[in-house]
Amino acid sequence: MKIEVTQEKLSKALNIVSRIANGRVTLPVLNNVLMRVDNKKVTLTTTNLDMAVVDYLPVSKSEDGVVTVPARLLAEFVANLPKGENIEISAKDTKVTIKAGKYSSVINGTLADDFPELPEINEKEAVVFKIGVDEFKTSINQVIIASSNDLTRPALTGVYFNTIDKELAVAATDGYRLAEKILVDKVESEVAAIVPTASLQEVMRSLSDDVDEIELSFSEDLVRFRMGEVEIISKLIDGSFPEYRKLFPTDNDIEVTLPKDELIRVTKLAALFAREVGGSITCETKKAGGFSVKSVANEFGENDSEIDTEVKVEGKVNLNSRFLIDALNAMDENKIVVTFSSKIAPVLIKNVKSKKYTHIIMPLNS
Amino acid sequence: MYDVWKNVLAEIEQKITPANFSTWFHGTSLVSADNGKVVVGVKNSFFVKQLRSRYFNDIKAALENNGVEVKTIDFEVVMTNKPKTKPREITYGDVKMHSIIEEKREKIKEASGHDSGLNSKYTLANFVVGSNNDLAVSAARNIIEKPGKSYNPFFLYGGSGLGKTHLIQAIGNEILKNNPKAKILYTPIAHFYSDFVDAVRNNKGKDFHKKFQKLDVLIIDDIQLIVGKEKSQEELFNVFNDLYQLNKQIIIASDRLPSQIKTMDERLASRLTWGGAFDLQLPKFEDKCAILKSRAEFSGIDIEDEAIEYIAENINTNIRDLESELSKISLLADVRGMTPLELIRSGAVNVRKPTKLHTVSARNIVDKVAKYYQLSVKEMCGKSRVAHIKTARQVAMFMLSKELGMSTTKIADEVGVKDHTTVMHGIKKIDSDIKLDFALRDQIEEIKERLYG
Repeated sequence: MKIEVTQEKLSKALNIVSRIANGRVTLPVLNNVLMRVDNKKVTLTTTNLDMAVVDYLPVSKSEDGVVTVPARLLAEFVANLPKGENIEISAKDTKVTIKAGKYSSVINGTLADDFPELPEINEKEAVVFKIGVDEFKTSINQVIIASSNDLTRPALTGVYFNTIDKELAVAATDGYRLAEKILVDKVESEVAAIVPTASLQEVMRSLSDDVDEIELSFSEDLVRFRMGEVEIISKLIDGSFPEYRKLFPTDNDIEVTLPKDELIRVTKLAALFAREVGGSITCETKKAGGFSVKSVANEFGENDSEIDTEVKVEGKVNLNSRFLIDALNAMDENKIVVTFSSKIAPVLIKNVKSKKYTHIIMPLNS
Repeated sequence: MYDVWKNVLAEIEQKITPANFSTWFHGTSLVSADNGKVVVGVKNSFFVKQLRSRYFNDIKAALENNGVEVKTIDFEVVMTNKPKTKPREITYGDVKMHSIIEEKREKIKEASGHDSGLNSKYTLANFVVGSNNDLAVSAARNIIEKPGKSYNPFFLYGGSGLGKTHLIQAIGNEILKNNPKAKILYTPIAHFYSDFVDAVRNNKGKDFHKKFQKLDVLIIDDIQLIVGKEKSQEELFNVFNDLYQLNKQIIIASDRLPSQIKTMDERLASRLTWGGAFDLQLPKFEDKCAILKSRAEFSGIDIEDEAIEYIAENINTNIRDLESELSKISLLADVRGMTPLELIRSGAVNVRKPTKLHTVSARNIVDKVAKYYQLSVKEMCGKSRVAHIKTARQVAMFMLSKELGMSTTKIADEVGVKDHTTVMHGIKKIDSDIKLDFALRDQIEEIKERLYG
């Protein structure tokens, strides 16, 4: 096996594939990257058996062959080589030689036989969506914040891709808050699948600026993301995601329109005084004073800030300040609408104009 | 308990390295072994190829040593809840492809030559039979067996939310199951009217008549909303007579007996009960528990008997309310990570205790609707075309019609619109919208609750 490639291209590819070969699995070969050259097609592959990352590496010269090399070591070695250098990698049995100008090293690899074969997407039955990268990135960032890392409830440790009324929505919840974004507003096929948060984070990290479109294919218990030269295949989470739309409050009687940046500031101020009560702050509407955010720390003092806005119905609600700040940071527009109810009903936060993003937070019992 | 797979694993463990064993065999199981066809369960697709290519012989040998016949070994991903996908292909932009559902619907349409308007989720299997409805159900079974022969017309009546629509649609669906070529039409009376009016306007009155003559089963829902339009009542009367003489099954649902429907033509009223009138009553406590249990089973909700009894005890209005309470509680419980009973005990849900219905006036309804949408009565009953005000106005029309059975002309006066066709349109709009828009349905339920609560 032999390839010739520039330092930048190889380093970028190794950087993407080596992250999941991180020694968390017991099988040594899974710490390696599989390098395969098959009739000029060069692939770098890693897997942790929950997901696999494949990079199609464009090279100038190649000879067929296959070998596995410790991924981290190779990635770090290549990253430290001078930029612009041409790198030649050749393998004889399990000895892998890397040459770049004056630099040269030999790494002990292993035979490729031990490296597991990857599952394949059933192309015929797959449900395929193509989405603009910017839209995809923004949307996933907006919902992934609400996903849970509580492993006792696996269904909530992922992002739920589901089609409702011919729209493709992504949603995540940790039981205390929930975020939903309409990703594509007109789809013909249907899907309901939970993609592990960890896999999505890997997808997000692997998206480079020169890619415009990402292709998602769902089939059986797998999902495949294709973006430029990188392909990520992940298992889907076994579990049922709650029918979350029923949680969207419909009869919140208190509604205020607020400037986002101002609200973030007053929430952060209030959060300083809310540390000993687990971040609990009180939001209140008053016809005379507008919208206020309060917090009380018995030991240190208290905080009370107001934002002028039109108030039709008076009431108050207790919220976790961290959740509120997360939600606000995820909003697209500068003006947002917050609705709540004096009864214990979820607090709903939306953009003023765009209706695609919905964020709800369960209030805290006072 | 003796588990052959544990022995198999123990044997394989001795043959291969510990790292390989724990990586590849942890979480596997024996799904089935029938006549040499062995199915091994694995965690996810990443395991399938490796087990098949590297460990097939080890697994086969170990199984055979344990007395299991092996001809083939299949590997299957074991999931309690499989992700769902409905092909085919592609989306975004303008590429259109038939989904499987649409194809199926097309096929049914082809077989019977038209769209029945039935919703296939209503079946007799998921209709809970109790002392409150057993007579009606046994009549329904007769009809399914021999449509048009007994109980024709079949007249079903009872308060809202007791399952009228479910039962009559179930009859249609079962007949269709027995005879996929049967021509069945389910139509709420309001649709019958608007279709008729359209037909007459386009000079297609004859086609309209013919369309109905071809039917094997005609199902009309909510006939209490029949209004004093002589021409269309006449048409319905004719359709009725034609079908009746041809021994075609006619099924009618209403919230009261024909004699109590003031707007109905007397001749028609008397004919409707020729086949007998069957009523659906409020379920008793045991029936309510049974309904909730079947519902929970149907939707895969895990709920304790005690929680079911709690809901049954506290909801005294109708079956729709029972079901919505059940799904609300199970959903909240799911999200909060409690069981439904724990949730109820924690006091986080207030199962509403609706009081007995008392009479409401038209004024009352208009006020409540306006208040609910945070509008003044003047605003709501004005001429504004702003979407949410218009919707509020239509909800008011809808409720006046449903709750009080007022005529469209009177409703027009009440909400300040010029003529009754606007009202008819409004009612029809909400009627069809609430089938898809659950938020709207909930809003209307909420208003009702405020009205009667």
